[in-house]
Amino acid sequence: MKLHFALALIGAFAAAPVAAHDFTIGSLYVDHPMIEEAPPNAPVLGGYLSIQNMGDTDDRLIAIESSAAEKVELHQSTVTDGIARMLPLADGLLIPAGEIVWLDNGMHAMFVKPAQRYRAGDEVPATLVFEKAGRVDVTFKVEERSTGGGSSHEGHGG
Amino acid sequence: MAGKFNLRKLRVVLWVLVAFITGGVALLSLGSRLAPVSAVEAIYTKPFSLVNQNGVAVTEADFLGKPSAWFYGFTHCPDVCPTTLAEMSAILEALGSDADRLQVVFVSVDPERDTPEIMKDYVDYFDPRIIGLTGGLDQIASMAKDRHIFFEKVPLEGSDYQMEHQATVQLVTADGRFFGTLATEEGFDVRLAKVRRLIND
Repeated sequence: MKLHFALALIGAFAAAPVAAHDFTIGSLYVDHPMIEEAPPNAPVLGGYLSIQNMGDTDDRLIAIESSAAEKVELHQSTVTDGIARMLPLADGLLIPAGEIVWLDNGMHAMFVKPAQRYRAGDEVPATLVFEKAGRVDVTFKVEERSTGGGSSHEGHGG
Repeated sequence: MAGKFNLRKLRVVLWVLVAFITGGVALLSLGSRLAPVSAVEAIYTKPFSLVNQNGVAVTEADFLGKPSAWFYGFTHCPDVCPTTLAEMSAILEALGSDADRLQVVFVSVDPERDTPEIMKDYVDYFDPRIIGLTGGLDQIASMAKDRHIFFEKVPLEGSDYQMEHQATVQLVTADGRFFGTLATEEGFDVRLAKVRRLIND
């Protein structure tokens, strides 16, 4: 009972800071860039976010740069017939006018060779590079990985 | 009157017999269809020689005698592998004391990069009860072949590469027979129920 109450409290506090974490450049609205916490010496980290194009012309996310990693690659991973595959998004990620595109569950930004260990709660600086809108500095928040177990919410994953 | 009654009785008895025979034949044919499943080849008894995350040499014998759950992945994997290991750690937690009845094993399909030290760091983060295996590429390849596990190295730009690999967890009985799989999209409760069925088998 006590434990449940404590967990509920933690949940309430943990959920709070997630709310306001967004960035705007021109008519692009970037919501909640996050990285899933990984093992201490994990050679790669998966980053996720959503981008809403509120304008009337298409744009394209062509790169993500970060001083926190050797490089950042845009990938599409798929699981087909039980086989996991990963392909680079060679042409970047199209953000069609009036639509929301999720870098989530499959599509991800892979931070290769992180400069240090990042734990849940840390912030990782990065710059999103759009074909038309240009560059915007954002922070990816490091969060605990969802396990699909218990009552924890199913958020990003994949 | 009496004769007619007996005839009806005989007819009922005959129909009951027919029903029994039909049922029996159905059961027999069902039995013969089920037989190959229970006689499924114990592919997890095939020999291998690898090292665990503590640098200790292990063979197939170390993983028999207790049900097990096997996942084949690599540490340069941003989503599928860490998510699966986090899910297995959540399963172990949900099993409570029953977790002692299950071995969870993570085999690297990228042994060129995944040293025992890297594997230790990696599995310990999710759950120290998870066993990490690596070793010679030839050993990993022959294990995968024996167990019908797909993996393939895919070159990227420069000298970089990625691995394509089996994404489902393989459940294995104490005597080394394939029991079933776990997949992320099934949801936690389904996966937990399958694992419970395995350890109570």
